[in-house]
Amino acid sequence: MLTRIHPVVKLAVCTVWLVAAVLVFAASFQIATIAIAVVLLVAIERRPPLFVLALMVPFALFGIGMLTTTALFREEADFALRVAAEAPFGSAAVSAGVVLFLRAIACGMVSAVFVLTTDPAGLVKALMAQCRLSPRVGYALFSAMLLVPDLAAEAQQIRLARAMRSSRPPRRVPGPFETASLVVPLLAFAIRRAGRAAISMETRGLAQGAPRTILGAPVPSRRDAVFAASAMLLLAALVQAA
Amino acid sequence: MDTSNRWTLREILIVAVLGAVFAVLYLGWVQVWLIAQAIFGAVTMDVVMGFWFIVSIIAAAIIRKPGVALISEMLAALVEILLGSPAGLMLLLAATIQGAGAEIVFAATRWRNYSLPVLMLAGVGASVFSFVYTWFLYDYGALAPGLLVVMFVLRCLSGAILGGLAGYFIVRALYRTGVLSGLKIDHDMRAVRA
Amino acid sequence: MTCAPSAPEAAAPASWRAVTVRYPFRGADAVGPVTLAVRPGERVLLLGPTGSGKSSLLNALTGIVPGIVPAEIGGDVLLMGEAASNRPPSGWSAEAARLFQDADQTLCGMRVGDEIAFALENRALPEPEILRRIEVAMRRAGLVDAMRDRRTATLSGGEKQLVALAAALAQETPLFIADEPTAHLAPLAAARFRAVLDADTGSRAFIVVDHRIDDLAGCFDRVVVVGANGGIAADGPPRTVFRERFADLRALGVAMPAAADLDACLRDAGVAPSVPPLTVSEALETLDPAPAALGAVRAFLRGRVASPAERPGETVARLENAACAPLFGPVVLRGVDLAVRAGEAVAILGPNGAGKTTLTASLAGLLRLKSGRRHGALGGVAFQNPETQFIGGSVIEEIRQSLNGKHIRTKDRNAAADAAQQILAHWGLSTLSAAHPYELSQGQKRRLALVSLTATDRWPLLVLDEPTAGLDAAGARMVAEAVDGFRAARRAVAVVTHDLDFALMTCPRAVIVADGGIIADGPTAELLADAALLARAGLAAPPVMQALSWLERHTQC
Repeated sequence: MLTRIHPVVKLAVCTVWLVAAVLVFAASFQIATIAIAVVLLVAIERRPPLFVLALMVPFALFGIGMLTTTALFREEADFALRVAAEAPFGSAAVSAGVVLFLRAIACGMVSAVFVLTTDPAGLVKALMAQCRLSPRVGYALFSAMLLVPDLAAEAQQIRLARAMRSSRPPRRVPGPFETASLVVPLLAFAIRRAGRAAISMETRGLAQGAPRTILGAPVPSRRDAVFAASAMLLLAALVQAA
Repeated sequence: MDTSNRWTLREILIVAVLGAVFAVLYLGWVQVWLIAQAIFGAVTMDVVMGFWFIVSIIAAAIIRKPGVALISEMLAALVEILLGSPAGLMLLLAATIQGAGAEIVFAATRWRNYSLPVLMLAGVGASVFSFVYTWFLYDYGALAPGLLVVMFVLRCLSGAILGGLAGYFIVRALYRTGVLSGLKIDHDMRAVRA
Repeated sequence: MTCAPSAPEAAAPASWRAVTVRYPFRGADAVGPVTLAVRPGERVLLLGPTGSGKSSLLNALTGIVPGIVPAEIGGDVLLMGEAASNRPPSGWSAEAARLFQDADQTLCGMRVGDEIAFALENRALPEPEILRRIEVAMRRAGLVDAMRDRRTATLSGGEKQLVALAAALAQETPLFIADEPTAHLAPLAAARFRAVLDADTGSRAFIVVDHRIDDLAGCFDRVVVVGANGGIAADGPPRTVFRERFADLRALGVAMPAAADLDACLRDAGVAPSVPPLTVSEALETLDPAPAALGAVRAFLRGRVASPAERPGETVARLENAACAPLFGPVVLRGVDLAVRAGEAVAILGPNGAGKTTLTASLAGLLRLKSGRRHGALGGVAFQNPETQFIGGSVIEEIRQSLNGKHIRTKDRNAAADAAQQILAHWGLSTLSAAHPYELSQGQKRRLALVSLTATDRWPLLVLDEPTAGLDAAGARMVAEAVDGFRAARRAVAVVTHDLDFALMTCPRAVIVADGGIIADGPTAELLADAALLARAGLAAPPVMQALSWLERHTQC
């Protein structure tokens, strides 16, 4: 269902929700956000629950860092440590840290809901059609995305070539130094491709400021208005309750 | 010779592919960050932060037109969204703010100076803006001032070194490969040599 | 140049009048002065050695030069009778469609339908018209309708080329320009392009640049050759040009159909057909198998079929019951038994995606085997894209690094510098010693890659991956000579190639990789004569094989 909502409307709603999550300092709001996101992904989009759990992991890892920092370094630090020894979950510092931990996950989940339910081509086309995103930028984005798999292939080739010169077969995953030395050749490869793509696209008629047809651009409908309105109402209610 | 400030299609594409390349590299850097963060705590974020700014500095040093620093960061985040990174939307917000920080430094020099000190300063500018953003995001207002100062200084250093200095070396190496011919950086370099 | 006096030049799709192109910071013109006019509906094959400026001429036609790539243009360039400079490059998309050499790498639509519609969307054509054209274009390019919604990122290289072809066809322009449409792999795409040419009965004009023209030569009304000095070296119907100007074109290093060579040999023996042939089968059809003719055919084949090494040397590298897989991928080849000997040259043939590169990289020891064993020293590989193996910041540094590996002591450094200069001079790259490797032309890059591989005796086995891609006839000859040199120096050479002519010419032995393993291993001429084998591997016999089989047939009786 979410995949059929107009991408720009979804983008706006999610961004507003994200800003709210950043500004509202209450565990209940963050938990509600996480819950809504999980329900949307599991029940409505039919994603496996384990997958949704795995999504949360990187944000949770990040959140734990914030939790420990806050717990240790909040203003009332010395008290916090003493209090923590007596009542681990009751101190103000820890509860503030918990809010930040939850916030990290909540923001991550809002972002995840958006990305997982949006078709990239649809988003860019919608931006071009509704938000007057310059088609030069829109198609540049498409071209850049199509470059990414070729970057991987090129990186492999470069690694093989270097393996040959140093007489050592390459490791499966490149280490940090190897990755750093790949940056400039890959950038050169990408920039050269960009130059040729520019010539190709311009020869095929891509110009600035000219009217164009956009095939298959998402069209805003009543359903999108309903979605946006209900989402904002829900958000307002949750913020109020927090 | 393009002396206007309007972007050519080639320049738009270069900024887009820079965004794509770094979007991929950032995905890797995030793993480094998360693992280090889990071990060392929140201060690691400030230490590794500079790398997020590098795309705006490299793009600005190559194209040398108004808006490049800001737009390149936004495009990199947009590419991450399009590639399906779950954190994409959050990154877009962060990237816009960081890019603005770098852009302000270049604007102060009227987009004419791209020497090493300016690039490092742009890294610092992005760090400052990023610090303000995370102030709200992670409620820095309630943390111990001592820690805050350490975090701020570390972040500015990271921005200057991982963003500005590293960006400077990368641009120099790129220029030597000859792929940047015809861009504003090429004209400036030739003018210096002539 | 013959010009139909009744056709007014104003209607000519493409016209160059005393045109010169000069790029910034260069001392000489890249091309010109050139005066040339293409008539409506005419099909022109544009030939010339690499670097002769064919691309510059074509780029000037649609305004890419000076609109996107800065350069000074002298003379007048007219497209559809209008000055090319009247409109920006994007303004000509309704008049001229251009199929670029690497079009499959510069796609910009997420799905096949989007890609084909791109140029039409830019012109703000109404949606129903766009949909109609997509359907027509897909049919002409041989794409099934189900492909329309496929994501371009999931397509194979050959499929991407077909999509690019469809996108160019959808523009439905009176002028169609194709840059080396058959060059990059995918014989399927090449055949499709030829089919498009055959099926097009409209008044569309074609200008095609290519280096491998055995299949295409018959489709064209006119051949124009751009010479090394920038001007037009030859211009006329293909049959006439290839016969009458044969010696000049050969000296220029321009690609010619194999039939032209055969025709020259037949003429020397006095048995040439009255009508100059464009294909080998045409030449042999009416040929009377007299001794003079047999001698001529033998002369033609000399130098086109490699002879085996006299003394097969010891085994340099061997794979034993190996399972080969690319760096991060699943196993693609199983049960591989392959050995190469010193002084031997082996051609590795097979369809796209069969695993030829994986096989050779495993043979050279760069990829770990999933099972089985590998014996022998490590091999050096000249990759398909020569840039991937350059590590030096300049040409001279590249050679120096090859000479010394990672440990450079001061004493050795001077000796290495001298040796490097000598090597450069030997290979004709002295003038470029300070340039960055990426700035070289394709042919020069390949030469540099070969040089850095052979600067030392480090690698007794050499693998060349598609060494003739993007090279003209002279460049291919250079590579062939290099291979002969390696064999003479008792190295083993494995050549991965789609160019079966080249394989026949340089490698006495061939290995065919298909269906997850090696399906054939033997003398090249024998393998290429086996029609069933070739069909299974998706390969087509080169025209030279027809001469071989003709000779065999007529020397038996």
